[in-house]
Amino acid sequence: MTDAPVVASGTGPLKVERASDRGSVLSWVGMPIFLAVVFTGTYLWVQSQELGGVEQRVLTRAQLTSRTIQHLELTAVSTLIVILIAIPLGVLLTRPFARSLVPVVLAVANIGQGIPSLGLLAIIFVAFGQLGFTPVVLGLVAYSTLPILRNTMVGLQQVDPSLIKASRGMGMSSLAILLRVELPLAVPVMIAGIRTALIINVGTATLATFFGAGGLGYIVYNGITLNRTTVLITGVVLVSGLALVVDYLAGVVGRLLAPRGL
Amino acid sequence: MTTSERPMIELVELTKTFPGQRKPAVDKLSMSIERGEIVVFVGPSGCGKTTSMELINRLIEPSSGHIIIDGEDVTNGDPDELRRRIGYVIQETGLLPHRTIAQNIGTVPKLLGWDKARISARVDELLGMVGMDPQVYRDRYPKELSGGQRQRVGVARAMAADPPVMLMDEPFGAIDPITRDRLQNEFLRLQAEIQKTIIFVTHDIDEAIKMGDRIAVLREQSHIAQFDTPEKILSEPADDYVADFIGAGASLKRLNLSRIRDVEMTTDTPTGLLSEETAALRQRLLESDWTAMLLLDEQRRPRRWVTIGDLRREGRSLDTVGLPAHAVVEGHSTLADALNELIESNGGVAVVVDAKGAYQGIVDLETIMVAVRAMREEHSAFYLAQKQQPEDAAR
Repeated sequence: MTDAPVVASGTGPLKVERASDRGSVLSWVGMPIFLAVVFTGTYLWVQSQELGGVEQRVLTRAQLTSRTIQHLELTAVSTLIVILIAIPLGVLLTRPFARSLVPVVLAVANIGQGIPSLGLLAIIFVAFGQLGFTPVVLGLVAYSTLPILRNTMVGLQQVDPSLIKASRGMGMSSLAILLRVELPLAVPVMIAGIRTALIINVGTATLATFFGAGGLGYIVYNGITLNRTTVLITGVVLVSGLALVVDYLAGVVGRLLAPRGL
Repeated sequence: MTTSERPMIELVELTKTFPGQRKPAVDKLSMSIERGEIVVFVGPSGCGKTTSMELINRLIEPSSGHIIIDGEDVTNGDPDELRRRIGYVIQETGLLPHRTIAQNIGTVPKLLGWDKARISARVDELLGMVGMDPQVYRDRYPKELSGGQRQRVGVARAMAADPPVMLMDEPFGAIDPITRDRLQNEFLRLQAEIQKTIIFVTHDIDEAIKMGDRIAVLREQSHIAQFDTPEKILSEPADDYVADFIGAGASLKRLNLSRIRDVEMTTDTPTGLLSEETAALRQRLLESDWTAMLLLDEQRRPRRWVTIGDLRREGRSLDTVGLPAHAVVEGHSTLADALNELIESNGGVAVVVDAKGAYQGIVDLETIMVAVRAMREEHSAFYLAQKQQPEDAAR
């Protein structure tokens, strides 16, 4: 493993978590403390405001909870689908027999990533002819496939060829080498890709409200159109906070899954 | 034919042509390798030596020809199963970084379905064999080890399931010279016990000479230029290619192959004890045709070289006259060691002692030259007869 950051095209450098980071206490507790402070501060600030009719209608416990759950559902379902598509595809594309397909598949994935997210969702909406959960999830899947696909491939390709040669030389089958050598060693890079996809999906799911799938974008959008700063800020804090929580949890999972000894 | 007579590995016209290439990378390689010997494939980069090795465990599938191991044709059949029966060591070690040393060593036994207790016992045994304390190392990860330790683990892993055949691809190539020398010596000592049949690939002729029972010097397409013992290859290179590959230092390299106990030492050097009367010593030196004599202490350990002039100076302790007798070698030292000692010595001779340090005889340049000529089988008797007394031994 090198220390160099792994770059997935169009997503900027990704930090690959290393097992040796495990011990750092600050990196474990820093983010939860920060988020707790921000959420509490926002709550107290909203409580101290004089709330008009719009605020009282939008900022209810039931409203906020259901919008957050919608948002998380969109993110979770789309990311899960991407994982199920992109990881097997990435494994397949790194097998010698599929090498010629690589440019084609990457080109398609790049198109998904290259179109602006609002435009992509609009295209899918037009193509699908209906509003709601399914077309938005499709859009999110198309939009976030590349980082996981790319990182799965990079993660598998950066496994030292001498390890694979030695493993073959000891009589391990190709499947055993994939499962016991290549995939474990690619996990840190793959997790980094999944983390990126999650962040993309949390952020892009904010647009779901324009296509009838709700989410926290509803609150932000209401805040803007009705010119209610309190509503707008609450929505923004919730969306950003949610992104940070998801990123943090993905990071924790990544550290736990990273193989020891790297 | 009994098993002990049957060659361990037989290669029959083994050929590999890679797709898209007209010339085969390995062209009709045939050879027969005996049980328990180390055969070194040596040759310049691109001569096909590594490819030839990888054909044997079928990491590269041969285009034609046969591989016969212990009488069984293994050219077809399950390659994974074949590889589990052949130890494999590579330069990069190939230790899996996410697995402990014990898990790495236990890889092949686990593939073969050994139970946990047996694997664990075998891992400890192997770590002991390569000189690493199992208690300390078994649960470490490869990155926590030095390069030399990793390569030891690599060797231990290859021996895990006790395969009769081992393939070693430049196993010590990426290690610093001092550690490499130590690992080579350790491995030769280990091989004396385990008696594996080993194919060893290197591009370093010195390593080939040191490690090989027989050396196959390869030229392009793995054509065998010469396949013989190190002594023969050094003294009778088959052609200019082999001679060029050995390089200019062939005679010097040959000195690494002979030991002092195998050559004729000069033993008629006059000697005396430090405790003797000066007059008696002087008398003895004058009666010899030497110009200097070697003084020994009570345990017959060499102390001083003295000339007749030194012995005439009355009233001085014999321990301070003449020159100190440095340059001491033992019987198991190589002629290269002896040559090195005598170049550094005062008198142009290396004094040979036994294990206790007692005087045995001396080796001088003549002795070494005679030995080299004898190795070349160029009328060694003639040169022995011509040998003259080293009259200037103590100058």
